[in-house]
Order: sequence, then C-alpha cells, then structure tokens
Amino acid sequence: MTYIGAEVIVSPLGETAEENWLALSDDQSGITLVEDVGYNQENIYLSKILSLSGQNRFHQLVVKALSEIQQQIDPQVFGSKKTLVILSSTKGALYSNVTDQFESCVSAIVQQFGLANQPVVISNACISGVLAINTAGNFIREKIYDNVIVVGCDIISDFVLYGFQCLFAISNQPCVPFDTTRNGITLGEGCGAVVVSASKEIFHKQPLQLLTGTSANDANHISGPSRTGEGLFRSVTKTLQMNKVDKGEIDFVSAHGTATVYNDEMEAIAFDRAELSHIPLNSFKGYFGHTLGAAGVIETAASMQMIRNATLLKSKGFAKPGTSKLINVIEKNEVKSLQTILKTASGFGGGNASLMIRNL
Amino acid sequence: MDTLKEDLKKQIIEQLNLEEITPADIADDVLLFNDSGLGLDSIDALELIVLLEKYHGIQVTNPDEGKEAFKSIDTMAEYIRKRKS
Amino acid sequence: MSFITAYCHLTKDTCYVDGEIISKRDIDSEDAWFKQIYKEQEFVYPKFYKMDMLSQAGFLASELIKRAKPGIVTNYGDDEIALIFANKSASAATDQRFINSYEKNGSPSPSLFVYTLPNIVLGEIAILNKWYGENMFAVLPNFVPDFFLNYTQILLSGSSKAALCGWLEILGNEIDAFLFLVEKEASNALQFNHENLMKVAGQKESPIS
Repeated sequence: MTYIGAEVIVSPLGETAEENWLALSDDQSGITLVEDVGYNQENIYLSKILSLSGQNRFHQLVVKALSEIQQQIDPQVFGSKKTLVILSSTKGALYSNVTDQFESCVSAIVQQFGLANQPVVISNACISGVLAINTAGNFIREKIYDNVIVVGCDIISDFVLYGFQCLFAISNQPCVPFDTTRNGITLGEGCGAVVVSASKEIFHKQPLQLLTGTSANDANHISGPSRTGEGLFRSVTKTLQMNKVDKGEIDFVSAHGTATVYNDEMEAIAFDRAELSHIPLNSFKGYFGHTLGAAGVIETAASMQMIRNATLLKSKGFAKPGTSKLINVIEKNEVKSLQTILKTASGFGGGNASLMIRNL
Repeated sequence: MDTLKEDLKKQIIEQLNLEEITPADIADDVLLFNDSGLGLDSIDALELIVLLEKYHGIQVTNPDEGKEAFKSIDTMAEYIRKRKS
Repeated sequence: MSFITAYCHLTKDTCYVDGEIISKRDIDSEDAWFKQIYKEQEFVYPKFYKMDMLSQAGFLASELIKRAKPGIVTNYGDDEIALIFANKSASAATDQRFINSYEKNGSPSPSLFVYTLPNIVLGEIAILNKWYGENMFAVLPNFVPDFFLNYTQILLSGSSKAALCGWLEILGNEIDAFLFLVEKEASNALQFNHENLMKVAGQKESPIS
C-alpha cells in the first residue's frame, strides 16, 4: 500500500494544513484587491502572502513547508538514501534570476535538510502538482524509493501576472469557478507539501492511502482547453481503471476549476462523459487563487483535510451553474464521511492528470 | 494604394513573426483566421490587439470586440479608422 | 526489458540521427539553424515557425526519429507513447524574450508567454501526432540517466508501450538536444540500460567522420 500524509499548506490563510482548514471551513479567502500591480497599474485581485517579504520568497516558502513536514514525520526520513524530494513548480525563483529558477533553491535545501538524493523538479504547467504526487506514488510502487516528499510552490510575479493579463485571462472579481459570471483566473501564491511513503510508521499522525493516477495529453492546443475534455476524460477513466475503483465509490471531486470560461466548460464536459457529474465537486481556487505549479499539491492537501474533518467544502464563489453540462458543484458546507476522493488538474501544454486518495 | 492597409500587412508580418510571407501575399479581403487564408489562431488574435495599441494607439479591452475587427485587412482598416475618428 | 530503437542529437552546428550526421549548419545561410534543418528535410508544418526554440528542437528531433523508425506511428495506439523530457534551464530563453517584450518592447507578448513553460514542447509533439499518452517534464542539474531509466520503466510497466524521451537544453548559443525512443519490443536493438544510454547519449561527442 502507498501512504500519503503529513500534509502542509502555506498560504495567505495560514502556515499549516490545520490553520488553512480552519480558515476554509470559516469561509475565508486569501484573495484581496492589490493596488497598482497590473501592467497598466491596474488594481488586481490576488491571493498573495502579504507577510512574506524579501528577495527569496520562493526559497522561504519551500523551507517553511519542509520545516513543517519535519515536525510531522520520523526525523530519520529526510537524510535517508531511500528518500527523494520532488519539487513541483512552474516558474520557481524566476523573478530574481531567469536562468536560475530552481537550481540555487534546490542546492540550498539539500544542504539545509541534509538530503541524500538530488531532488527532482517537475515543471509541467498547472498539472505539475498532481503529476508530482503521481510520480512519487510510482517511485514507491516500483520500490525505487521508500519515501518521497512532494513540495509544490509558486510565487506571484510581474512575469506571470502580465502574461495572464495579455491573454485577457485575469478575473476582474475574485475568481468564481464554474459560475455563470466567471471571466478568468485569480492568481495565488503558496506552498503545499505531502509525504508519500511505503511505510505507515514514519507518520506521527494517521496517513491516508494514495491511489496513484495517470496523466493524458489533450493533443489539441498548447494554451486552449480541449472542447471535448478528451485528455481529462482519458486521465480520469484510466486512473479509475488502474486502481479498480468504480465511479460509484467516489465521494468527492476536487476539480481544477480555474474560472476561465473555456477551462471550466471543458471540465464539465469531461466529468459528464466520465459519468461523474452527479458527484459533489468543488474548486479551491476561490480560496487560494490559482497557485499554478503548487495548486495540485495544495488542493490535494486541502482535500485530505476534508477527509480528515469529514466535510464537503463548498466551492467558494459559485452561485449559478455556468457550464453547458450540469455538474454537482457544492454550494454549502456539509458534514459527510468521505471514503474516496478524486483530484484532477489540467493545464497549458494540453496536460491533464488525476489521482485518488482513500481514507483508511 | 491604401497606405493604412499596406502598413497593416507589414505590421502583422512583423508582430506575428510570419515567415516566408510578404505583404503582397496578403490580399485585402483574405480571411485572416481561416485555414485557407492566413490560418491565424486565438493567440495571434491577442497579438493583433497588442499591434493595435503599439502602432495605432488603440486599446481593445474586450477581446471579443477584436473578433469582428480582425476578419480581414479590410475590416481591420475600417475598425482603426472608426476608432480614430 | 526494453530497447533504445532510435535517437537524434542536435547541437549548435550538427544534427545526427542514430549517430550519423544528417545536417550541418551553413554559417552563411540567412536562415536560423533550426529553420535550415526544417527546409533541408522538407518538413511541411507551418506551425513550426511560431514555435520557440525548445519546441522547434523537439519537433525536428521527434520527426527525424519518426522517419528513422516509421513503425512508431503505426505500431502503437494513440495513448501508448509516453513523452518523458527534461532539461536544466526550463524555458529560460523564452522567459527572457517574454521579459524583454514588456520591459523593452512596450507590451507583454501573448505568443511568447504561451511558450514560457518547458512542457509546451510536449504539447506540440502531442498535438502534431494526436498522441494522448503520459507526459512528464522535469528540470535536473544535468542529464541524469537514472531519471530516464527509472521513469521510463515505470511508465512502460503501466499502459505505455513506448516512450519518447528527451534531454532538451537550449540557452544562449548552446544547444544540447538528445531525443531517444524506447520500445518494449524490438529486434537487433540496444537494450535500454545505463551503459547503453550513456553510450548513445555521448555519441555526438565523437562524430563519425
């Protein structure tokens, strides 16, 4: 069995998964209006960690998350030859040095945490986080490593903001995934971390089970979502088949839900095709914004908190269905025991990925 | 010769890095986004918005507005003249 | 067991397929180096001109591997070929061009921004071939054979039957592109192991004269 636990979330809502959960269940969002930050000095809604300052914000967040992980697992794990660290990120520390987006940070954490193996950076756009956790699960299953620490981190920068602005993809309100009035993403920053392991004993607190999933390309467009949801449909279908899980067993779907018109429409079509449209679903983007390479890890960690707290968390910002295929977007928090959940992600480059987590 | 239209052709080739295409290859009424025309895509449409601001000082805040305006060189020229008058 | 059945190297002045030179850069040409190969090899895919250097290199090398090994197109289902790529500098060259667009050229360029992710090349290859398989782009300090060996074996033990792998590092004037095809079944081919991968990876160092 592959275990997943020791989840950490560092976001504007808190520095541990528990702090974040308290804020989420209290309907708080990290999104605020930040003045004069746009390319033409517009005010833009962002989920920005205002307390984090200095030049090396990316590095600081990664260290915060790893230090928190250290408190939650057997301290021997970090230095073990059978432990790998995977860092999931799209742009790393690009804002400080375009030709050293990851390397310096990676070297520093190897030193600071006494890591035995060279970490692997996965940079696969917005599916990076889910892909990184799946990669961890694969490494454990094939017995290449015993433990994999997955850290997903991305920082809001002028680079990324101006980029999405010139694509006309930034929402003029806090993003409202799947809603009829959605008109774009709200960028977020943060760091998520989980530990994937072949051993239950390394965790101080009860871990959950990881059902490792798959990725699939849309083969359609490098920056436009597929109109048929083909890649997401294939990824989800294969993830269920591979783990011999029937779709009736899924209690909750943590969707990608960026709140762009086309992405959310694509997801609704894919879930409809996969016959999952009746299953309670949310997007965490209304709470954390879109944290890009961190999103898959942060949202998996938040979904794990939902399992632990037996709660279906509402999809913040959603009021009126805005997709051609109806899906079951959660409108208010509800106490419910969750046994098996599905997490999906889709991104630029046509990538789609999915995984499942099961309560033990 | 309509200089605005000729300028537009040069600007489009420059802005979109269209290789192996000269202004003479672009007819005034050819459909820019049709595969039998120039075969431009949605990202090119956004570059045309950049072009309008850069060369003509016209700001397009709603990309849907661009869709109509960017059908052909003729419609682009018409749109620019209307916005400027 | 699996096998390396074809490979392609691209450097700043030479292009090799299966260790043999197929193209040399003409320094007097007006065309950029990748465009020279594109024209010389008579490729017809106008989208090529819109791609950034990483995607152009991925396009050229993967198409040359397909020519060397045409079976790749017919022997596999549309989701059976995994794409496993890595490099050192992610999309830094295009990232810098995008920064220039808003710092020096007056406006952030959407067509540059969409290439500021290293995995876009995987999307381009998937789109061209209509491949719906697994994708992975990793950033590593150097070419790590074990990463490719481990991850390819993992995916080949699942539903993938072949993997197109690539080290694709392009920054400044340096070009170090190495794509190789790994298949589960092959005859008269190199076994996919550490030693053979290193041998094939280094083949361009001692070009056949």
